Amino acid sequence: MEEIIERKPFEVQVGPQHPALKEPGNFQFTVDGEIVTKASVRLGYAHRGIEKAAEERNWIQNIYLVERICGICSHIHAMTYCLAVEHLANIQAPPRAQAIRVLVAELERIHSHLLWIGVTAHEAGFDTLFMYSWRDRETIMDILENLTGNRVNYSANLLGGVKIDVDGEQKTGILKGIEILEERTKHYLNIVTTDVFFLQRTRGVGKMTQRQAEVMGAVGPTARASGVARDVRIESPYGAYDEFRPNLIIEQAGDLEARFIVRVKELFESYRLVREVLDRLPEGELSVRMPRRIKPAEFAIRVEAPRGELFYFVKSNGTDKPERVKVRTPTICNMTTVVKLVVGHQLADVPMILAGIDPCFSCNDRMVIVRDNRKIETIESRR
Amino acid sequence: MEIILDFLRLLIFPSGLFLLLAGLLYEWVDRKLLAQLQNRIGPRWFQPIADIVKLMGKEEVIPDGSNKWLFVWLPIAALAGGLTAALYVPIMGIKPAFNFTGDLIVTLYLLSLLTLCMGLAGSNTMDRYSLLGATRTFTQLFSYEAPFMLALLGPALVAGSWQIDKITAYTQNHWLIFTQPIGFIVVIIGLMGKLELPPFDAPEAETEIVAGALTEYSGRGLALFRLGKGVEMVVGLTLVAAFYLGGVSNPVLFLVKTLALLVVVAVLQAVLSRLRIDQTVGIWWRYGALLVLVQWLFMFVGQRLTL
Amino acid sequence: MKLGTMLSDVTHSFFRRNITQKYPFERFETPERLRGHLHWDSEKCTGCGMCGTDCPAAAIKMHVLDKKAKRFVMEYHIDRCTFCAQCVHSCNQDCLSMQNDVWELAALNRDQMVVYFGDPNDVIIVQEGLPEPGPECEPAPE
Repeated sequence: MEEIIERKPFEVQVGPQHPALKEPGNFQFTVDGEIVTKASVRLGYAHRGIEKAAEERNWIQNIYLVERICGICSHIHAMTYCLAVEHLANIQAPPRAQAIRVLVAELERIHSHLLWIGVTAHEAGFDTLFMYSWRDRETIMDILENLTGNRVNYSANLLGGVKIDVDGEQKTGILKGIEILEERTKHYLNIVTTDVFFLQRTRGVGKMTQRQAEVMGAVGPTARASGVARDVRIESPYGAYDEFRPNLIIEQAGDLEARFIVRVKELFESYRLVREVLDRLPEGELSVRMPRRIKPAEFAIRVEAPRGELFYFVKSNGTDKPERVKVRTPTICNMTTVVKLVVGHQLADVPMILAGIDPCFSCNDRMVIVRDNRKIETIESRR
Repeated sequence: MEIILDFLRLLIFPSGLFLLLAGLLYEWVDRKLLAQLQNRIGPRWFQPIADIVKLMGKEEVIPDGSNKWLFVWLPIAALAGGLTAALYVPIMGIKPAFNFTGDLIVTLYLLSLLTLCMGLAGSNTMDRYSLLGATRTFTQLFSYEAPFMLALLGPALVAGSWQIDKITAYTQNHWLIFTQPIGFIVVIIGLMGKLELPPFDAPEAETEIVAGALTEYSGRGLALFRLGKGVEMVVGLTLVAAFYLGGVSNPVLFLVKTLALLVVVAVLQAVLSRLRIDQTVGIWWRYGALLVLVQWLFMFVGQRLTL
Repeated sequence: MKLGTMLSDVTHSFFRRNITQKYPFERFETPERLRGHLHWDSEKCTGCGMCGTDCPAAAIKMHVLDKKAKRFVMEYHIDRCTFCAQCVHSCNQDCLSMQNDVWELAALNRDQMVVYFGDPNDVIIVQEGLPEPGPECEPAPE
């Protein structure tokens, strides 16, 4: 008696717990041998209800709530929130405070990119590059600890300015650290562009054309590696970025090697910006007084986080608590590119493509309700 | 009397208990060297022993859908293959306990038995990661076996025998690393492929398929597989040292030569990144086989010229 | 196209000491701005309670026993504190600071995690839960 064995597609689940993911997320890949034929993603494992919690706390308490949306881009979240609230209250932070905010933001970008190099090298199996780039990350974390008091979650922002000042001793410490890091970064650029075995893992993997990047809405270094010439710091400068202008760094190839090159070159750009800020730091006070109650108004702001474009919408209603705080982080824009690009690649390339967009799962868990002809669907259930 | 001596040789020294401990020691040296090269502290000297002791104390969970007998006996068969292979190889510079014509081939196949058992263990379970890992293990087995074996047969050809102790008697006076350098390169890289060390650790790629073929193993089965890997490392290093580095005639020379080879292997591990499985096969069948054939060509030409 | 581009790093590290800090046998100096345990200067306090209002983690509670006579007790929960130093900046009288040498604050039970600052008698009043004498107020109308 013959049994008809049903041919079910062979599905490999990556997540929610998997050594390739640093944070929980669920990916289902249908594989045929080693080639991926279909992919789908499911998020929502790190949803904490931050936007709702922000409505129950006053304006000052929210800085620290918003800072903890993400560990590596914590300062940029706090800075964006403070910029938005200051705009609602019609107050400008003094120039010295804005410059120090830019300084810490660029130091944070350096930290984030060094961390990313290590993590992606680990996904490729190149553990030595992982260990060495994380050793150099200790240098930047020591700089940040001396400057702000903590290695991550710096708490440097106040509504109306910053808490910390940069004096002569701090300045020499930062400049010395940046010099060491610049030497090492040149070495990493050399490794990433010339090492034969590593290039075999990154060249031609996850190729995204410019048209695809624009249609799927990719942001940040992921899009800039495909030739999309957008950087929020340049096209709509915020804070002190109209004084300290970065250069645009794009590559045309669109594969993983191009993303490496873009991020390493952004490191050089950040070193230059840090030196420029320390050189031309304006004099003045560190913060101004802010009212505790803010008149009803609403404001939307975009900034450039290390991973891409970060968007905040803040609405006040006259009390000392916000009416609405909406956060849209860059990772959720880049997540669709993973699902699309992975088809046709081998299973061994999948963690590399996933790590190539610099995913931050704790950033991107917002719930979105899509109303379509009286049928309400949440974005999580869309496969 | 002979029987008792044979049992002692089998169970205590040089095979058996001594070899298991030597395997763990070499694993520790490898990990510590790798850590030093990566600028960090490695584990303390008793870490591999502590790992094995802890694993032996844990419950063995047999997953649903797998054949129970195979699940339990495959690790035992793998370790048995490794320990048997050590009987024909000059561990610690002592003449091998048993030898007969053709024991080189038998040793190589007993070492492959270990990898075969790991692949079978992976395909036995119904877990996706294990199946993928088993496929990769077998693919890698097919790709490096031919060049590795040919490179080890090179010394056999010039020594004129298939018996390991006769070959080592010949290589004691001739350092084949100088006369067959290409063969040496192929055999070192083949050893790394056999032991599944980076850059050839695609079968147990941690970030892609969790642990490869051994994903579902825990407790005693995993401990036996790890012991088997350690034994394989010692036997492989001994073979390479005995054939290419001028034989191992006493324990001191044995330790020095095998540890020197281990340093070379550790440096190669640290400096190269992992390759995808199709790239591994590509490298082996293109460059590995080509190099070893070139080496054999030189050997034939050399023999013709000297005759 | 080079093979083994990290060889220079690796050979360099082979002969050098590793960079791991062997804590707790080796301790480096803490930076000056490290935010550790909170410290309260009771002389300058006016009992406004802004520190407690602005704390994002509800780690500070100001008990006002007598505003005119300046009898205050500050209850500080170390396990809730996020060490953000907002209280330091919210205080208009500069009576709070964070010490940079007391940062190893782990403990084995929760009781050790609540600290009371203030006059010992006042602290007993607060801890025992006795009715706190409120600020001066008018007696209830007849």
